[in-house]
Amino acid sequence: MTVLNDIRDYPWTSLFAGILPARLAAKLPRQFQAQSTPIVPPASIAGNALTVVIAIMTFLACLTAGGVYMVNQSANAWVDDIASEITIELDPLDAADIEKKITLVSLFLAKQKGITRVKPLSADDSAKLLEPWLGSTAALSALPVPRLIAVEIDRSSPPDIDLIRNALNQNFEGVTLDDHRRWQSEIKLITRSTALGGIAVLGLVAAATIAVIVSATRSAMASNRTIIEVLHFVGANERFISSEFERHFLGLGVRAGLAGAVAAAVAFMLLPFMMYLLGGGVVTEAETRRLLGSGELDLGGYLLLVAIVFVVAALCMITSRFGVFRVLKSHA
Amino acid sequence: MIRFDNVGLRYGSGPEILRDVTFHVLPGSFHFLTGPSGAGKTSLLRLLFMSLRPSRGLIFVFGENTADLPASGRAALRRRIGIVFQDFRLLDHLTTWENVALPLRVMGKKESDYADDVTDLLHWVGLGSRIHAYPEVLSGGEKQRAAIARAVIGRPEMLLADEPTGNVDPAIGNRLLRLFVELNRLGTSVIIATHDYALMDQLDAPRLMLYEGQLQVSGP
Repeated sequence: MTVLNDIRDYPWTSLFAGILPARLAAKLPRQFQAQSTPIVPPASIAGNALTVVIAIMTFLACLTAGGVYMVNQSANAWVDDIASEITIELDPLDAADIEKKITLVSLFLAKQKGITRVKPLSADDSAKLLEPWLGSTAALSALPVPRLIAVEIDRSSPPDIDLIRNALNQNFEGVTLDDHRRWQSEIKLITRSTALGGIAVLGLVAAATIAVIVSATRSAMASNRTIIEVLHFVGANERFISSEFERHFLGLGVRAGLAGAVAAAVAFMLLPFMMYLLGGGVVTEAETRRLLGSGELDLGGYLLLVAIVFVVAALCMITSRFGVFRVLKSHA
Repeated sequence: MIRFDNVGLRYGSGPEILRDVTFHVLPGSFHFLTGPSGAGKTSLLRLLFMSLRPSRGLIFVFGENTADLPASGRAALRRRIGIVFQDFRLLDHLTTWENVALPLRVMGKKESDYADDVTDLLHWVGLGSRIHAYPEVLSGGEKQRAAIARAVIGRPEMLLADEPTGNVDPAIGNRLLRLFVELNRLGTSVIIATHDYALMDQLDAPRLMLYEGQLQVSGP
């Protein structure tokens, strides 16, 4: 609860003064100026190097979280697409009657509840699906290419797929129904793996940030040992002393976090143009879009970056607090 | 107010610096703590201020056994004690006014509530024109008075001063002594550690004399 009190007591109105360079901060209206001189001088806490390190950590965390978010959004869109469609495959061995069989199966499917559209694919359409692998060749017409029927289902009241599958098997020979479950489970597996990888990277970034802050807290306390002694002599308790340090680290976390998150946001905005900048063509862009969807973060993604800034700032503050308590305990 | 029972102190495995120290400080009293250099005056003050733990014996501060106190309890007792260091211990990045206001800031008081008190006290100790000055531009006497003002701004029940006249000329030393006497009249118990006999002779107060680690009380 004391952490919540510290957050409540933090002079938020003077935060701008802490974020901006001193020259600009001095020009802010009075209500945004620091109320009194900090007992622990900001310059003794950490130099620009620590701010840059935390900013880079935030940048990496934002890139990871944003990337996972985009892959997740893209995977959800894929799952949505393929979950609203099933495919009927007709064995091409009975080539003579295949057109008639397609018509019969299509009519049968159109009568089923929960099916909104039945679209038989022509032989040419089926052959075109193989073109990416076999190229455009006349030999395709000689191959026994299975014929396909694309069936759209009503997502609000979906049909009983197993019932349709059994009915097809009973009424027609050489007809199989593919509800894309295998694809869905594989996409979910990939998404889950990506998310786990992302969480692992975020964990490493958080661990590195904590280690850096602990080290910075110790060196800040060592360089401010006289101030800590005087604070003890005038009756300051551990909470007061730690709040004097964690206030600086909170400001540092907000500044560095914002810098890292803004840099990551710019990187995400430039991502659609990145392929061109790196020499990629239309195909590269298309493949990237297939993997990452539109290749742009939506509002939810940018809110995720904002949340990361809060997490980084809180991490800096809480880590320094425990660091100060630990050092004070060892002094005692 | 403060009681020492058979207190002994040694640093590490070294010899005992203080041996069987027993004394009692009553509320509103005025004491000099004296003895030759290295007799243990500063160590005794640090025990009084709970920045050292005794090797043996018991110390009661405001009725509390300091051995049983957690860190938060010691901090609360320190707020009732003002201390003046021989080397002042002013914070260089704070102005004189901010240094003096520090104990009130630590207590969590609002600046608007104590601003006038701090300014008045600085005028009273003769630092009215040095309010916005930083310690590095203050003279030794001015630093000493700022340190004393910081020690008394929280209206402590006890004031401890370590060689408060050690860095100032006799005239300022006498002025500071008058300041301590005035505080004592207002109800603050005062213990001044000094080896300045001329200063002690100006006041008829009990002397706690340390010699070879042992304490003797003399005077009224």
